[in-house]
Amino acid sequence: MFSPLRIWAIARNTFTQLVRMKVFYFMLIFSALIIGANLLFLSFTFEQELKILKDVSFGAMSLFSSIFAIVGTALLIPKDIEDRTLYTILTKPVPRIEYLLGKLLGILLLIAVSILLMSLLFFTVLYIRQHGILAERIASFPRQVSEAQIESFREDIFSRGLQPELLLGIVAVFLKAAVAAAVALFVSTFASSTLFTIIVSLVVYFIGHAQSLALDYYFSMGEMHSAAQRFFAGLIGVVFPNFQLFNVTDGLTSGEVISTSLMARLLGLTAFYLTIYSMVSWLVFAKKEL
Amino acid sequence: MANSSTPAVQIEGLTKVFRLPFKKEQVVAVDNLSLKVGAGEVYGLIGPNGSGKSTTMKVLLGLISPSAGKASIFGLDSGDTASRGSVGFLPENPYFYKYLTGSETLAFYGKLCGLSRRKIRVRSEELLEMVDLTGARDRRLGGYSKGMLQRIGLAQALVGDPRLVVLDEPTAGVDPAGSRKIRDLVLELKHRGISVILSSHLLEQVQEVCDEVGIIFRGKLVREGKLDELIAIEDQSEIVLQNATPQLLERIAALVGEEEGAQLLRCGNPRTTLERLFLQEINKGSRQGGEDA
Repeated sequence: MFSPLRIWAIARNTFTQLVRMKVFYFMLIFSALIIGANLLFLSFTFEQELKILKDVSFGAMSLFSSIFAIVGTALLIPKDIEDRTLYTILTKPVPRIEYLLGKLLGILLLIAVSILLMSLLFFTVLYIRQHGILAERIASFPRQVSEAQIESFREDIFSRGLQPELLLGIVAVFLKAAVAAAVALFVSTFASSTLFTIIVSLVVYFIGHAQSLALDYYFSMGEMHSAAQRFFAGLIGVVFPNFQLFNVTDGLTSGEVISTSLMARLLGLTAFYLTIYSMVSWLVFAKKEL
Repeated sequence: MANSSTPAVQIEGLTKVFRLPFKKEQVVAVDNLSLKVGAGEVYGLIGPNGSGKSTTMKVLLGLISPSAGKASIFGLDSGDTASRGSVGFLPENPYFYKYLTGSETLAFYGKLCGLSRRKIRVRSEELLEMVDLTGARDRRLGGYSKGMLQRIGLAQALVGDPRLVVLDEPTAGVDPAGSRKIRDLVLELKHRGISVILSSHLLEQVQEVCDEVGIIFRGKLVREGKLDELIAIEDQSEIVLQNATPQLLERIAALVGEEEGAQLLRCGNPRTTLERLFLQEINKGSRQGGEDA
């Protein structure tokens, strides 16, 4: 009965729906942001300039992809129920789990494409800028610059510019947005409106950012904690995904290396949260009276 | 596997109770309702607003679960997803994805029914032709009129080649011409041997297309049966004559007078319906418009 083709049909339809809602207009804001970041900080040293460009780009990518994940997902199921479109889908031989997975896959596709577009723009600006900085550096030299010096400048500048490690940061941004989408999908299965879904998902998103800090503080107070308290703390860790873990880009823009084990952990966590939230969403949605 | 004698729809002792949130009160939407729709029959479920028609249909389609009793489609429990393999449904006032075109809409629903790409293409052509939307196939649904939406809705209900079609208020909000088109489509389905269960409060339409009718009131099925039997006035007979002279009518009246207990109740010209008159004038107008052009 389970049909990947039907899931794919729903996913493609979800993707088309969001694309035709003209969500990609956000690219204009993103472009303005990174071009603005580029122009505003020209007077800084090149290290600072490139770091700011990467920080602003990663920050904007993370923000936009998470907003997309939450708002895009929140628009899907409540709207389908409100418009009764859901009736026409579920009265075809479509199990409810397929509908949910199709919607989730569709929003993940949209997030992936939008991150891809943002990355292309980010990399293009970074590429142009690092070559610009190199040219300015060579031009600012009072005497003839030797090949060896040019090579040294290039290494110095490019090592802070377009590096393959940035791709890992982009993957982390995608994984974080994917978890946010799974949270919003779950909320939308019991929510009565789009607005409610957005608000509750944002609350979970912010708690998810603060939870590790709060738990660290709680456990660092040095008191003995009962099993119940530890269980409760663990439960919070499951219910509210630790979004802070996905914020690896801050270190990345400062030159830190993302280890393979950290990436594997992030991938594992994302798979865990996507599975848990999809299953719980299904449990709620399977019994939902429409 | 259902055989030919398996009813298209069988509902037994269906009860649906809704609990109001944060209140102790309960609303009984459907109360111990039983009905059967034979294969190839057109069944009309009629009743005032809020009488439980839509709730009955939702249980039948597995959108909500019954509080008691059961419903089945061609022998398969309506809670089972497989039962939806032989059903097409048009909800009341449907909104489809307005960013899709007519043919994209049919392709989407065709994929959900598991049809191949080739089959979807063939079926879409056929259905767009049938619902008279071939010219609007590449237009987005956002630009469709109410009647067009109902017709594309009917086409999506038929895309999986169902044996049962469930129509919830199929003509709600549609003008008389559009309404007649939908009526003709229901008759076409009947002609093809497809079972139809429809709810409506437009009684004249139900009378025109249905074989059987059930009257539902406050969640209970208060009357059910073959339409002809239900609406026939047992002790009256009807004769319709063409080109009868006044003399002939007088002779008939005299003949009736000779029979003990028989009585001539009415004699005059039969009336057309307002709907027929409206459509006749519209057609006349459009023919004249065509000639003028």
